[in-house]
Amino acid sequence: VTQAPPVPQENPLLVGLRKRRQAEPCAITIFGASGDLTQRKLIPALYSLAFRNLLPENFGIVGVARTEMSDDAWREKMQQAVKEHGRDEFRQDVWDDLANGMRYVATDFADDGGEEHIVRCLNALDEDRGTAGNRVYYLAVPPAAIEAIVVAMGKRRSAEGWTRLIVEKPFGHDLESAKHLNTVIREYFDEAEIFRIDHYLGKETVQNMLVLRFANGIFEPIWNRQFIDHVQITVAEQLGIEARADFYEKAGAVRDIVQNHMLQLVALTAMEPPIDFTADSVRNEKVKVMKAIHTPGPKHVVRGQYGPGYIEGEEVPGYREEERVAPDSMTETYVAAKLFVDNWRWADTPFYVRTGKRLPRRETTIAIQFKRAPHPPFELDTEEGLRPNVLLIHVQPDEGVSLAVGAKVPGQGMTIRTVHMDFLYGGAFRTGLPEAYERLILDCLLGDATLFTRADEVEEQWAIVDAMVAPWKRDRPSFPNYAAGTWGPAGADELLHRDARSWRRH
Amino acid sequence: VVENVTLTEVERQLGELRAAAGEPDELPRLRTSVMTHMAWVPERWVEAATETLAGLAERHPSRTILLFPRPNEERDALDAEVDLRCFLRGGEEREVCSEVISIRLCGKRASAPASVVQPLLVPDLPVFLRWRGQCPWGAPELEELVDVTDRMIVDSVEWPDAERAYARLADILDRVVVSDIAWARTEPWRRAVAELWPDVAGAEEIRVAGPRSEALLLAGWLGARLDREVELRHEAAGEIELVEVDGRQAEPVRQDRTTSSDLLSDQLEIFERDRPYEEAVRSFSSAAT
Repeated sequence: VTQAPPVPQENPLLVGLRKRRQAEPCAITIFGASGDLTQRKLIPALYSLAFRNLLPENFGIVGVARTEMSDDAWREKMQQAVKEHGRDEFRQDVWDDLANGMRYVATDFADDGGEEHIVRCLNALDEDRGTAGNRVYYLAVPPAAIEAIVVAMGKRRSAEGWTRLIVEKPFGHDLESAKHLNTVIREYFDEAEIFRIDHYLGKETVQNMLVLRFANGIFEPIWNRQFIDHVQITVAEQLGIEARADFYEKAGAVRDIVQNHMLQLVALTAMEPPIDFTADSVRNEKVKVMKAIHTPGPKHVVRGQYGPGYIEGEEVPGYREEERVAPDSMTETYVAAKLFVDNWRWADTPFYVRTGKRLPRRETTIAIQFKRAPHPPFELDTEEGLRPNVLLIHVQPDEGVSLAVGAKVPGQGMTIRTVHMDFLYGGAFRTGLPEAYERLILDCLLGDATLFTRADEVEEQWAIVDAMVAPWKRDRPSFPNYAAGTWGPAGADELLHRDARSWRRH
Repeated sequence: VVENVTLTEVERQLGELRAAAGEPDELPRLRTSVMTHMAWVPERWVEAATETLAGLAERHPSRTILLFPRPNEERDALDAEVDLRCFLRGGEEREVCSEVISIRLCGKRASAPASVVQPLLVPDLPVFLRWRGQCPWGAPELEELVDVTDRMIVDSVEWPDAERAYARLADILDRVVVSDIAWARTEPWRRAVAELWPDVAGAEEIRVAGPRSEALLLAGWLGARLDREVELRHEAAGEIELVEVDGRQAEPVRQDRTTSSDLLSDQLEIFERDRPYEEAVRSFSSAAT
């Protein structure tokens, strides 16, 4: 009997070939397929992934929405969306390839047959496109619609392959509803299959925060209460509520921004170094920050609502004058708060956070203000001269990092002026930053949940927000209390003035 | 172009350009560098090099030093031109600029280029050297520049006798990390051949229709990885059209056509040694001895 020569287990030919993040064959079902998010973000993101050959070859997309439409009509609409909102040039061959795997199902889930249509459509895609029973359900629908879809699709899980669920924010509207939603989803899906999306985490600059902190030896030793005076996080929007009055009237700034984006930025700024970059290590550290946040008392939270004003010279209406907003609405469009992270690293170091609509400009920044130099040996011409160092992380726009340092003004005397040393992200790496949704959708297809929010994390976030809004039921501030195009209500300035500090100058 | 300059003058010009950049009421321009990028460009490669660079600067802001050797000129001198290339990306308010220094090395100056570039290297950042055309193995200009370089980038398709050249290249691999654009072009094919594992574990022959250099690299790679003699059957073609191992055809995934700027740009993003490439190249060195 001749024996075949032994074949080594490892493939030696793969050595040195860069590992490609290649997802397995699958079909993604988008619930809310005729909505704004699908057109502006999701389909353009999928097109960009296809443009870069990052999607699996066997791939399909099923759009689900109420509107009656044919497959072709939906494809046509999505093609327009890619042309309008895509970041890459439109290439017909790339689009045709993607569009061949696109199907549309019209249902409102009130009719029992809807989910069966979807399942039949997905099974047909498995046959036609080889998607192998692997499913991603993207819930781009209002919170009220989530439960019904989860139950319907959870009961009809594909017998083969894996299933993953992407849930858009807001995840619930308070701690109780978030817990309920987690319970419902977990009846049908395992935590490892649930991807709660917060698109801020898909932004390159937000991820760069982790690199800045944990890949550079110079920052971490001074990243604590000994050297940092305080932290300011600003999520400013110039836009009003656009056409989102129905959602915004119920949510307000605290649920729209603070519960998710803002607390994510706080967590990334304050977290301890994770032992590695796996989903659980990173999320464990973020949850610890949330648990350590001291419940802010009513004096530490300021809310506001914009009145009429001017944006870029144009007169804009106040919030209560916006379409579909109640004329006596008490919804906040601005929130500022002083938070404390009660742990060894951050004790007594305030994190001042603020977010608002109709502020003078769109800007998301994290400013780390260091303590002043203990003793200036110079005879300064002005007190203003020697300002504390600030490390400023620009999340958007103009992504980058700058460090404010004092420098001598050339000439006689000792005049010191603050100058900025800038690292402009787009200046050093000009490859074009991927859209957050591209990164996150691809991560989900690959099963990597690092940049998604875990159940305990989302519940901790809601616990903080519930504590912030609890006193609001008792008092009625006189809204509006800031004019559109200004930096928020006077109370927000007082919040810092009481501590002999002020918001960063813009 | 200013003829017969000193490097102090070049540095002064760079300083002036930086100071002059931007109108008084504008935000200052940013100068960003992620590396020093040198290119050695003999006369016949000037056009191709200029074209490649045009598509490159925006992706890799760096101080670029273009060296144009003119050893046959009678005068011994350096002629230089200093330029600032600025880019404005959509949505951003500030221009980002990088510096391009073009230097003609006339007469004997062409044989001591390291002393010309050393004062101009950006401190603390990696130095990449793109060598256009055939490398003059053992010549002082190559030896000198290799010693101040972290990574040399070549395209062995530009070499007339690649087999002999690989044997010489193997000699400098201990001193400098080398990227070969021809090797990069073979990547999808190597990946496709790897898909044939384990059926190709005992491979005896590889058939390649494509440029000679790329065929040699594929054969060298397969032999070195499998640690066995693999014979090459080569058919000439402008780009790789077919790869077969013992009659089994490799089928690469669809690949977008990439420009020479893209290929060079990809190489500028790699910092580590490519061991399988070095083994493939060294296989020609052992074959030669």
